[in-house]
Amino acid sequence: MMDPEHAARLIHAAIDVVNQQLPAARRLNKSPDTVIVGPSGSLDSLGIVNFVITLEEKTSEAIGRPVQLLDETALIEANGPFRTIGTLTTYLAGMPLS
Amino acid sequence: MSHQERLHFIADFNVETLARYVAHTAVPGAEVTSAPFGQVMQTLASGSPGDDWTTVVWTQPESVAATFARAVRFEDADGDAAVDEVKRFAEAVGRYAAGARAVFVPTWTLPPWHRGYGMLDFKPGTGIAHLLARMNLALADALASHANVFLLNAARWIDAVGSRGWSEKLWYATKSPFSPALLEQAAWDIAAAIAGLRGRSRRLIILDLDDLLWGGIVGEVGWQGLNLGGHDHAGEAYADFQRALKALTRRGIQLAIVSKNEEATALDAIDRHPEMQLRRADFAGWRINWNDKAQNVAELLAEIGLGAESAVFIDDSAIERARVEGAVPGILVPEWPADPTRFRETLASLRCFDSPFLTTEDRARTAMYAADRERRATFAAGSDLQSWLASLDVTITVEPLTDANLDRAAQLFNKTNQMNMATRRLSQSELMAWASAPNHAVLTIRVADRFGDSGLTGIIGLAFDGARAQLVDFLLSCRVMGRSVEDTMLHLAVAQSRARGATELVAEFKPTARNSPCLDFLRRSGLRAAGDTLFTWDTAQPFERPRWITLRDHAGAVTAGDR
Repeated sequence: MMDPEHAARLIHAAIDVVNQQLPAARRLNKSPDTVIVGPSGSLDSLGIVNFVITLEEKTSEAIGRPVQLLDETALIEANGPFRTIGTLTTYLAGMPLS
Repeated sequence: MSHQERLHFIADFNVETLARYVAHTAVPGAEVTSAPFGQVMQTLASGSPGDDWTTVVWTQPESVAATFARAVRFEDADGDAAVDEVKRFAEAVGRYAAGARAVFVPTWTLPPWHRGYGMLDFKPGTGIAHLLARMNLALADALASHANVFLLNAARWIDAVGSRGWSEKLWYATKSPFSPALLEQAAWDIAAAIAGLRGRSRRLIILDLDDLLWGGIVGEVGWQGLNLGGHDHAGEAYADFQRALKALTRRGIQLAIVSKNEEATALDAIDRHPEMQLRRADFAGWRINWNDKAQNVAELLAEIGLGAESAVFIDDSAIERARVEGAVPGILVPEWPADPTRFRETLASLRCFDSPFLTTEDRARTAMYAADRERRATFAAGSDLQSWLASLDVTITVEPLTDANLDRAAQLFNKTNQMNMATRRLSQSELMAWASAPNHAVLTIRVADRFGDSGLTGIIGLAFDGARAQLVDFLLSCRVMGRSVEDTMLHLAVAQSRARGATELVAEFKPTARNSPCLDFLRRSGLRAAGDTLFTWDTAQPFERPRWITLRDHAGAVTAGDR
């Protein structure tokens, strides 16, 4: 399992990437309740895919093996792991490392 | 002067992520639009949104050349047929560019995982990599005559991010084959190219000495004890960094020194160390003393005649970097590694020197600044200004604007700040279009004296309307200011106006943050002040030129009008 702080750092790094694609007023805060997927979120579908694939890449580098996060079912679930930074941190920290 | 940038993206893939990077990070505030993807030829045929728009046309090679698509499938592919397809694409881009401010075309690339024919992949007639290189060269050749079309090297973006640059998953999910990391590289290169077109490329590098140009503190170990060159890996790196700096001077980038040292000790090292690649003549100026570096930088910029927005400050000390960055607004202070083996690559990766032109004047600029130091030294030793000016043997050559001097003229338009009456920023095509109007005239001014040839350094733009001539552009490089060239240019403007039947010459100064020296000159020039910023001259009266200046008039400005 991954340390939750490590998981949060990976998520924040992916946020740094997608924030460059957003207007200053719509950039994502790095707080647990920031919405990633949902009606009140800043990311549209392209932004979400860019975020998830960037996070996949950073997570894969961190744990040394390919990671699959882009899952359309998980992305559209109302209470899915991608709802907020907090839920995603929990999800990522719960992934097995090997 | 800030401009609202307008960028249009045309691509055969979903280019929206790149458009967002550009709009929100690389060129903030830009108006950015994207054509529907996959309709490249139709969009090119429909023309540019306007002549103030810059367009990025990014395609995949297999969509431009069906021959290449066959080659990728390992079918027989005729290279000449692929080149013909490239030429047809280039013609479409060229026609589109005629109505655009500029067009950027990223070169074609293959995914890094694509091995083609392996060991045969660069074999002529067989290899896919060979065919792609041929297509890229054919594209560059076909677009070479379009002054406002620039090919951007996309292979460098892939090299910068490695295999992460190309994502099959992104292609399937979003119809963009390129990762955000690669698109970020592209966005910054596009931003650098736009800055270059606007004349915002940097022209001066101000350098520290100790532990930057050489290893060690020269004041403590003497020049004999410095680590530079030789058989030490760090010493070799310092020498290579100096070679890289010297190479930049051939692109028109000037070097200067701001260092806390005893001047005599530091100059002794520069003059005498056998491994020094940079010598005194390679520097446009220096401030070597124990004063505050920010103050030294400001004084040096004033001496050289450049603004902080033209300069880069490099120092190994984070404290000095922070001090200069905080105290000299506009200067670029890059993060600098502590390890000298990384100096050369850090310098080479700076995008701030990108420029759409490379002129003869650029290549000779170091020699010009050295000549200027010599020139100023003779003035310091001289008695009075007029005798000194007469002693310079200044020759001014007047020529019309032509294709041969257009690059340099457009460069002057976009880089001159201080002696620039209207500060119009025009691209090559905009300048030539303006000059070609029957009621307009553009004269270029070349300046030489006994110390050297300063090249094309001045421009006069005139618009004629019956009895009235308007001095629209009056600009002169700071390198030749104060040598009576300004007065001679007014003489030429009056003579040309009279030759074109105008009885009055009107000059309107348009203020910017940097061009007050031009207003000061106009006020003391002898022109009649018709307001704070408006000046006139009755062309029935010749505007006398300094008689110690030799005038060679290949534009007919004087022979036609200076009776």
